[in-house]
Amino acid sequence: MWAAIALQSQISKICMRLKLPLLSILPLLLISVSTWAQTRISGKVVDMKDKPIKGASVSLDNTLDGGTTDSAGFFSFETTETGNQTLVANDATHSTMGMPLVITGAPITGLVLKMRTAVLETVTITAGSFASGGRAATVMSPLDIVTTAGSNGDVVKAMQMMPGTQQNNTDNGLFVRGGDAYEAAVIVDGIVAQSAFASGPPGVATRSRFNAFQYQGVQFSSGGYSARYGQALSAVLELNSTDLADKSNVNLGINMGGLYASGTKRWKKSSLDVGGSYTNLQPLYALASSNFNFYQVPVGGGAYARYAWTPNKNGIFKATISTTYNKSGITIPNPSSVYGDTGFMSKLGDRINYETKDKYLFATATYKQMFKTKYSLLAAVSGSYDSNSNKFGPYPLKTEEYRTQGRIEGKDFINNRLSLMVGSDVQLYGVGKQMDSFHFRKSFDEKIVSAFAEVEWTPKYWLAIRPGLRYEYSAMLKTAVLAPRFSAAIKTGPNSQASLAGGLFYQDAPNLYYLSDITKTPGMSYAAHYIANWQYSKSDRTFRIEAYHKDYQHLVREYYPNADSVFVFNRNRILNPSIGIDNTGHGYADGLELFWRDKKSIKNADYWVTYSFINTERLYENFPVLATPTFIAKHNFNVVGKYFIDKIHTNVSATYSYRTGFPYYDPTLKPLKDNFLTGTTPDYHNVALTFAYLHSFGKWFSVFYAQVDNVLNTKTVSGYRFVPDGNGVYTKQSVGPALYRTIFVGANFSLTQFSKDEL
Amino acid sequence: MKKLLLMSAIAMGALTTTKAQDFKKPLKETFEVFDTTRDQEKKMQLGNKLGLIAKKWPNEWATHYYYSLAKVGLSYQEKDEAKHDALLDEADKERDEAVAILGKENDETYVLASMIANSRMMINPMQRWQKYGKIFQDNLKNAQEANPENPRMYYFKGVTTMFTPKNFGGGKKNALPYFEKAEGLFAKEKNDDIMKPYWGKFQNTFFIAECKKEDKDN
Repeated sequence: MWAAIALQSQISKICMRLKLPLLSILPLLLISVSTWAQTRISGKVVDMKDKPIKGASVSLDNTLDGGTTDSAGFFSFETTETGNQTLVANDATHSTMGMPLVITGAPITGLVLKMRTAVLETVTITAGSFASGGRAATVMSPLDIVTTAGSNGDVVKAMQMMPGTQQNNTDNGLFVRGGDAYEAAVIVDGIVAQSAFASGPPGVATRSRFNAFQYQGVQFSSGGYSARYGQALSAVLELNSTDLADKSNVNLGINMGGLYASGTKRWKKSSLDVGGSYTNLQPLYALASSNFNFYQVPVGGGAYARYAWTPNKNGIFKATISTTYNKSGITIPNPSSVYGDTGFMSKLGDRINYETKDKYLFATATYKQMFKTKYSLLAAVSGSYDSNSNKFGPYPLKTEEYRTQGRIEGKDFINNRLSLMVGSDVQLYGVGKQMDSFHFRKSFDEKIVSAFAEVEWTPKYWLAIRPGLRYEYSAMLKTAVLAPRFSAAIKTGPNSQASLAGGLFYQDAPNLYYLSDITKTPGMSYAAHYIANWQYSKSDRTFRIEAYHKDYQHLVREYYPNADSVFVFNRNRILNPSIGIDNTGHGYADGLELFWRDKKSIKNADYWVTYSFINTERLYENFPVLATPTFIAKHNFNVVGKYFIDKIHTNVSATYSYRTGFPYYDPTLKPLKDNFLTGTTPDYHNVALTFAYLHSFGKWFSVFYAQVDNVLNTKTVSGYRFVPDGNGVYTKQSVGPALYRTIFVGANFSLTQFSKDEL
Repeated sequence: MKKLLLMSAIAMGALTTTKAQDFKKPLKETFEVFDTTRDQEKKMQLGNKLGLIAKKWPNEWATHYYYSLAKVGLSYQEKDEAKHDALLDEADKERDEAVAILGKENDETYVLASMIANSRMMINPMQRWQKYGKIFQDNLKNAQEANPENPRMYYFKGVTTMFTPKNFGGGKKNALPYFEKAEGLFAKEKNDDIMKPYWGKFQNTFFIAECKKEDKDN
């Protein structure tokens, strides 16, 4: 203030010298004095619950005069401004707040500004799907998968710990919400993966063909999925392959299942990966006592090459080719006695050698391009071939399967709230099955042409709608279908939202029916899904509750003359050409699922809990009456926990899985209709542990791991086999997985190119 | 007396210029103190001040650039994940604004993008390294391609290397070459024009001393 007074006296002196009337300069003087005057403004910033907000910026709009709140929410600053002003409070996690203020020169104190918590993210549709947008990205990263105890690094096995899926260790595939394994499709970069599992002996679940580290992330939809995909009654599991490799490296691994090596070369705009592996499960089976009699333990080999190229900033081309070979042999009891078969099988001995040989080749090429951040284009082609030369005793069983596909998709981001996607895909596939020396060779070729459109509209940040329509034409069945899809989400609070999803999902009948000499070719089946969920998600804690109803129609039914008294429980049965077939089968599934994931409460720990309840029945295939299938457990419960111990660089993961028993059929109980699948196997418990220790030897980064599955060595029963002795007396034999407790150890070494060129 | 008149005129003039066009002076003064102070409260205040500068001169890329930089700097101290991300959302927004005004990315905006990704990763490295580690690396690479002489890129690479556990190829020993490379490049820079970012030298010198300390212990 003294400066202003000093200046004033100076000015009056100047005026005197210049002989100017002091008054003439007075208005100017007043302005300058008021400009110099400092007005103190102070107060407090709180949230809607009156809690102080620390670090908020409080200022006069469009000036540099402002202050910052302390831990008690208090602010205080001085300004030279006067008159009508706006006081603005800013904070990263709250909505900006303004308050009009008239500054007269007198200090303004005791102001209270209330700030509302900001709604940061727009709503995302989550019903039926475990892929979410934004930062949460995908449901499971590769690291999540390999560090989940009990998954053994298998992408599909890890999904059995998500809600909606059934725990199963004797059959391949995903059993989702009452659906059979064939109802779930695995999709890699928009391309349907044919024979997702290596074939093995019956009753032995094999690994899926997907190495977790070749994918950026996994999106699992347990129903109500997008119009982009079809030909799956239940679910799709989407895998997105990695883009350009980060750096050149060499990777070597050894474990009880074999050896592998891979190398990556990174150029400026492209990268190439090549790898090879040799598998031999001898060490694994030597350590654990197998419930199967392997005369040839599973052995095999594989090789792959992957090329990625970014021709420009917003485009990427990827091409992959992979091939695998596997063989195995087990001795099994002659099933003819179980099924009461009097044909060729009964002429074989009591024990039969079952041999499998599987050759697989899969090649894909995809190109993605974004144009001016407004349009995107995806084009993909693929070809795959799978040949199984199995032997059942002396009889060869050959299956050859091929699939070629093309897909094109365009998306127009009309604005940041509205986008339109249109696309088309063509799938040509066929299967040939040969059982030389007897019966027949049968094959089919199918061509499915589809077109689809989907609109994503977020009219408000709290509302998102995604309607879609899919058209599919089957050349083999000469049938066209239209499948509408719809999903929507609405915010119910700053951290919570509700979603809906539904639609119609069509699929051809299982291959079995097109490979038989039956007189009638069954048509497509369909399922209608109705899904609703509510989700609460805040800073790495997510709770979700989801309910659904599923209605199955046009399922295939087989009619046997003796269906009232005999049921052949064999999922690999050969159809008798004389039986009747139609599409009058049906079914339903109702369920409730809970999911809780917490990455926050415990430092370095991540755990999730899932629970699924299902009530389902169906009348299909060779079922005589509506019944709950043998792969359904009413209650499924999983707890997965992971903890990283910083000090010893060790990741520990533990999983507990529980499910109630599976239904089974007891042929000793008569009549069949009243006793069909009424038995229940014992409950299933599994505890799995994984340890991974990270260490570097010079430039070599290494991981040593040990996995123990079924730690308690529980004798799991997944069903029963009833073997008749010829006099109508049955022996009850339990069916279980190939191995109970297994121990699997291994190590991985990787050498990343030292980036000297960076210096 | 004429002198006095002139002085008072200048004094009056100074009063008006603070309200008018020259953003460079307050920007330089505010950022330099922000950059060198170790007092967190003060850092927060100056960060907010940079926000006011960016708001007052919204058409200058530099005001947005420094505000974004301040947000990243502050985010490292914020342990609450939601707040941490909110700060970085703002940093992203300001950076985008700067790039939009510039019309294209340059080495400094790439380094900034890399820092944002790194900070996003650091709040929860176990969950996030895969996604943000890549964005972080890619942007450093972009910066190097745009200008291999940018010292901040090497300095930041040094910092992140230093705070990476030894078992993962980090530690002081591995970080030192980056800081030393940066030192030479910092020496060539002038620190008079706020429009040509020159920050980092002071911290770089500090880290070189830190890295060398351990060498003695070994």
